Amino acid sequence: MKREHCHSSATASQNNSKPEYSSPPSSALNGKAKIWVDEQGYSGSGGMDELLAVLGYKVRTDDMADVAEKLEQLEMVMGSAQEDGISQLSDTVHYNPSDLSGWVQSMLSELNTGEDMPSINGPLLAPGESSTRTSTKFCNSQRTRVFNDDSEYDLRAIPGVAAYPPAHSSSETESTRKRLKTSIGSNSGGIEVSGAVSDPTRPLVLVDSQETGVQLVHTLMACAEAVQQENLKVADALVKHVGLLAAAQTGAMRKVATYFAEALARRIYRIYPQDCLDSSYSDILQMHFYETCPYLKFAHFTANQAILEAFATATRVHVIDFGLKQGMQWPALMQALALRPGGPPAFRLTGIGPPQPDNTDALQQVGWKLAQLAETIGVEFEFRGFVSSSLADLEPSMLDIRQDEAVAVNSVFELHGLLARAGAVDKVLSSIKAMKPKIVTIVEQEANHNGPAFLDRFTEALHYYSSLFDSLEGSSGPSQDLVMSEVYLGRQICNVVACEGGDRVERHETLTQWRGRMDSAGFDSVHLGSNAFKQASMLLALFAGVDGYRVEENNGSLMLGWHTRPLIVTSAWKLASSTE
Amino acid sequence: MDQNQNTSSRESKEKRSEFFINDHIDILVEILKRLDGPSLGVAACVCRLWSSFARNDSVWEHLCFRHVSSPPPSSVKPVVVALGGYKKLYMVCLRPVLSRLSDSDMVRRVWTRHEVQLSLSLFCVDYYERSGRLGGGGGGDASASSLMFLCNTVNV
Repeated sequence: MKREHCHSSATASQNNSKPEYSSPPSSALNGKAKIWVDEQGYSGSGGMDELLAVLGYKVRTDDMADVAEKLEQLEMVMGSAQEDGISQLSDTVHYNPSDLSGWVQSMLSELNTGEDMPSINGPLLAPGESSTRTSTKFCNSQRTRVFNDDSEYDLRAIPGVAAYPPAHSSSETESTRKRLKTSIGSNSGGIEVSGAVSDPTRPLVLVDSQETGVQLVHTLMACAEAVQQENLKVADALVKHVGLLAAAQTGAMRKVATYFAEALARRIYRIYPQDCLDSSYSDILQMHFYETCPYLKFAHFTANQAILEAFATATRVHVIDFGLKQGMQWPALMQALALRPGGPPAFRLTGIGPPQPDNTDALQQVGWKLAQLAETIGVEFEFRGFVSSSLADLEPSMLDIRQDEAVAVNSVFELHGLLARAGAVDKVLSSIKAMKPKIVTIVEQEANHNGPAFLDRFTEALHYYSSLFDSLEGSSGPSQDLVMSEVYLGRQICNVVACEGGDRVERHETLTQWRGRMDSAGFDSVHLGSNAFKQASMLLALFAGVDGYRVEENNGSLMLGWHTRPLIVTSAWKLASSTE
Repeated sequence: MDQNQNTSSRESKEKRSEFFINDHIDILVEILKRLDGPSLGVAACVCRLWSSFARNDSVWEHLCFRHVSSPPPSSVKPVVVALGGYKKLYMVCLRPVLSRLSDSDMVRRVWTRHEVQLSLSLFCVDYYERSGRLGGGGGGDASASSLMFLCNTVNV
């Protein structure tokens, strides 16, 4: 069984031996929550910045500040260079372009022969000289526009260094502020702003199409911080900034930033998203998400494997699905049951779903489709649907659980919504216990989006959804699917960021937290076997060309992640100290 | 029996012995059973007789499970047939799955039980989705199939 290295806050290099991912709470926090805010060093992935590593650039996290400064300097120099400035650069041979530090250092030294520039490490520029020139023009016009704003939007007022590239020490915060003053004052200057001036008063480049998102992230964080402190004017300005910065990005970063900016704007202006009564629309979105990327398929296959193994000898089985949606999980289980050695058991499915706005019985339609399939493959099938706006309203007695059947309870992304109401999750867990299931399969997002502080949630969510969007980027298939999947995720982002109280249902929690909850509710963990692992690995290998998915085993649970970041977890449970 | 047919046909012909494969359908079928997927497709284009045999599902059944390390249980066949047949299973699931999963020429490989199981599961999911769409007015439109990720060439 493969065990892969995940976050390890202690590693200093990427090429360690692979320690087991045991996820003690502290390292989990270190690994994830601080990835954006902690300027001094990102834990995990061996000291290299993760975001840039995904793009192929190796920048040490300690050098990030230097990298940013060097980039600005380089851009300035290139902007002020003559037309043949580009040809100067083309003489140098660059080896190892992923080493940004060395690369820009060599470019700088080439351009600035004779000029007394402080040495810095590494640009964030993508290697494209001509596009740099256009971006200089672009950003300068932007700069003029940007800095003509009302002084109410004084970005200096932002406490902390979240808005700007990190300084080496606190004394440089002052130079940051000075930098800003200079640029505000020189908005009419045009391109040649203090080209020869030394370090502290270099103008700040806020809009730069070559910048790979560090600035964007910092601005998002600053905005979130402002929102947390109820500083809505500043937050408003920053949100608009984010919009500008996001427009200069491409790909996943742009989409993530756009969704987060929209969610922040909703929170600031208190335009909360309409409570979506149309669950069929969200079902459609989830279907597109199902087709585009392997997360839901992984969830279904691993949960099915656990259920299959639990039902190995049962003759009558009853599965209770907390979120039936389109029933995409069950054909595979029915097929596996049909081919079970010894023949298929009698299969009974109880599907639970939310009320439909147009009163159509969506559950019955799904049940009917599944019944047709069951008849085709020769499995005795019975279906019952329950409409319920909340799982907590369900009573075990309603479900008509019979004596001779083995029961499985399945919940895919349904439990975290219960955390919005006090006591709901405990009630549901005790209901589950009353059903006396042989196995309970739970699939949840692996993230902590339910912390008490808004900024922490925001940080976590930014990291989580960045990884998720990143993984979608490489997916093949019709672009319509991709767009709908992104809308699906975008709604989640909106809920995490903009909503509060009972409306905020996307209260994701980590495996550790769910484990604690299940343990205290009286459940024992069931290890998902190697069959599940192999199937999951194979499934992921099928998404060929998108080489970033990782399956990991974590104390019996299976996690699917993108590169080093686990994103969803399947875990299985049984009643503690049961009689079986 | 083959030899009898051969000798009888030889006797019935002129001095030159001619062997026309289309006269010996059982040999033809035996040969077709041993072909790989692309070759079967080519064979189906040769003539009507070959086409009728190459499209016969039993030939594809052999293809699907030929390289499996252990023979599949007998319960598999009715399920597969009900879901659309072995040819469909091969075209829609097995071939893409195996070509994605193997590094070298997939014909030579031994297919593991897991791969076959996975393919069957995906096949079933695909059937379910298609049946739903036909009913819902999608008209068998393949663009929304859950197996699209298998069929698309990936261009990273």
